[in-house]
Amino acid sequence: MKLTLKVAGFAVAAALSAMAFAAEPIRIGVSGPFTGGSSPMGVSMRDGVKLAAKEINAKGGVLGRQIELIERDDEAKNERGVQVAQELINKEKVVATVGYINSGVSLASQRFYQEAKIPVMNNVSTATVITQQFKDQPDNYIFRSSANDAIQCGMIVKEVIDKRKYTKVAILADSTNYGQLGREDLEKALDAKGIKAVAVEKYNIKDVDMTPQLLKAKEAGAQVVITYGIGPELAQIANGMVKLGWKVPMMGSWTLSMGNFIDNAGPNAEGALMPQTFIQEANTPKRKAFIEAYQKAYKVDRIPSPVSAAQGYDSVYLLAAGIKQAGSTDGPKIKDALENLKEPVEGVVTVYNQPFSKTDHEAITANIPVIGMVKGGRVVYAYDEDKKTGSEVRTKATKAAPAAKAAKAVPAVMEKAK
Amino acid sequence: MEILIQLIFSGIALGMIYAVIAFGYQLTFATSATLNFGQGEALMLGALVGLSFAGNVLGGPYLNFWMMIPLVMVFGALQGALVEFIGVRPAIKIKSEFGWIMSTIALAIIFKNVAENIWGKDDLKFPSPVSEAPLHFLGANVLPMEIIIVVGALAMMLAVEIFNRKSIYGKAVVATSNDRDAAGLMGINTRLVITFSYALSSMTAAFAGVLIAPVTLTGATMGSVLGLKAFAVAIIGGLTSGIGVIVGGLILGIAETTTGFYISTGYKDVPGLVLLLLVLAVKPAGLFGKTAIKKV
Repeated sequence: MKLTLKVAGFAVAAALSAMAFAAEPIRIGVSGPFTGGSSPMGVSMRDGVKLAAKEINAKGGVLGRQIELIERDDEAKNERGVQVAQELINKEKVVATVGYINSGVSLASQRFYQEAKIPVMNNVSTATVITQQFKDQPDNYIFRSSANDAIQCGMIVKEVIDKRKYTKVAILADSTNYGQLGREDLEKALDAKGIKAVAVEKYNIKDVDMTPQLLKAKEAGAQVVITYGIGPELAQIANGMVKLGWKVPMMGSWTLSMGNFIDNAGPNAEGALMPQTFIQEANTPKRKAFIEAYQKAYKVDRIPSPVSAAQGYDSVYLLAAGIKQAGSTDGPKIKDALENLKEPVEGVVTVYNQPFSKTDHEAITANIPVIGMVKGGRVVYAYDEDKKTGSEVRTKATKAAPAAKAAKAVPAVMEKAK
Repeated sequence: MEILIQLIFSGIALGMIYAVIAFGYQLTFATSATLNFGQGEALMLGALVGLSFAGNVLGGPYLNFWMMIPLVMVFGALQGALVEFIGVRPAIKIKSEFGWIMSTIALAIIFKNVAENIWGKDDLKFPSPVSEAPLHFLGANVLPMEIIIVVGALAMMLAVEIFNRKSIYGKAVVATSNDRDAAGLMGINTRLVITFSYALSSMTAAFAGVLIAPVTLTGATMGSVLGLKAFAVAIIGGLTSGIGVIVGGLILGIAETTTGFYISTGYKDVPGLVLLLLVLAVKPAGLFGKTAIKKV
């Protein structure tokens, strides 16, 4: 009798502690600029992340535990990003972190995660080196769900040189890591076509006058201006071109889709071209649900940066799939699971079928993004054929054939997830 | 040649923006030998208050651009008086040499944070009161708004100079800047004159804010870089000279645009700063400044 009571007591205690353990949330860090010139990207990313976390939590969370987001503003400053990383790792004890908009911040901060063996799901920053920073180490904890600069530059060059047959291009890049690393990739991609930019100019964040840069491009006879920068200064470039009465097409990295470029340049933004992984167009049920949920939750019609929101949303689902498959919140186990994801993950950008491997931490390949264009104050598909086929989800190139099948098999997966 | 003209035009517009902010530094330095390091923030607040009246950020537009300017100037004057009252007067009272530096910087940060909370952290578009299509002039293009900036800035500086030289109140300001103690003994309320100079200085900054906002972008951080460049202008031109800041502004503005074109856009800020160092080394009072003789 006494013994049974004791056993029962043990059982209750064990059950209680198990419950306490189960109820403990999974803490995921979110680092991005929620203030300043990069904030449309940071805020959209964060809102996309929150949306995904809310959905997952509503369905019972991951491993029976709720996801708790720890959001921190890195102000797009490298030194602030480092502080945030240390706080998230040491004080908040996060399981993983999603985020990073600014490539410089990302490069400065992620070494702390690498050392702590905590995975990072980079969802917006694009510098090519980001996933290769720790190439020489046996394990790499940095993953990415955005289209990197090499992919974007390839698309830009293809559009400008192959399709539109321009031979004289001018590059205007800002002086941040983002602008300068992007410029390097761009020059490399142009080089491969045997083309050297006729003008390569630089400007600073908060510059109010772009006359010298644009005049140099104009004098060099540029037929197109390629930009690498963020919203407010891109608007100064578009406005500056109108001031000089010089009208050539403007094309650039995906940041030309930012709300603060479109608003501040107004009519001068029309026609700007950029690669986009996601365009705010409800052409699949998943995208429709995502856009409507976003509009409802944040009371906006136009998402400030649709690409950031979509990639942020997807990054949480990718990470959750990794945690689920690992059956643990242990960093190395999550990393291993992410490198070998068995079930496809349905996101808004694409369906991720084995998005990562031991050597490849890029979820997006060159075939996934499309060319977007600013029209009527919004970003739309630049080409009708892309718009028509927009509902066909483009999946990662290396696994093209099985991925297509996976896309069809998604409803079954979704059922399982529920 | 057309390129040079275009660069000079853009440089003049840029330089006048710097000059009109630097003018504000010069006003308070003349009367009290103190500076408002929040001059850039005064400009930013002026622009954002103006945007609230003339734009649609806070439910407007309530007034058109020209009607809004007097209100913004009143707001700027009040803001400047507040800065003097909270930040500078206590420091002057205890004859602290540095207290006002910290307190005006602190107030600048507070103003920036308040602005971020009211107007958000994003850069906003300021609707232009005139056409945004460029005018052609001597083979170069100029925005109508740039002409308004130059004319408006010159008119304002002229108005302040005339006020100082011709009116009895202005004479009190001049007397205070010549010798504060002597002016006090002559029955001039020098404390009030200093408050007035701060009000005037922030008023010019607020006015500058609404003038330049249609060509720059408007936001809580618009003032910081401009305030710093204007400080360089004030030192190049001389903190005691109204003409000095105009010349200093034009030098810096034109140096930036021409260096950007003829040398490299990566180095466009360098010549202005080299000039700053040269001026400090050769003529510390500035190109047009009166050399202060400090008797010890």
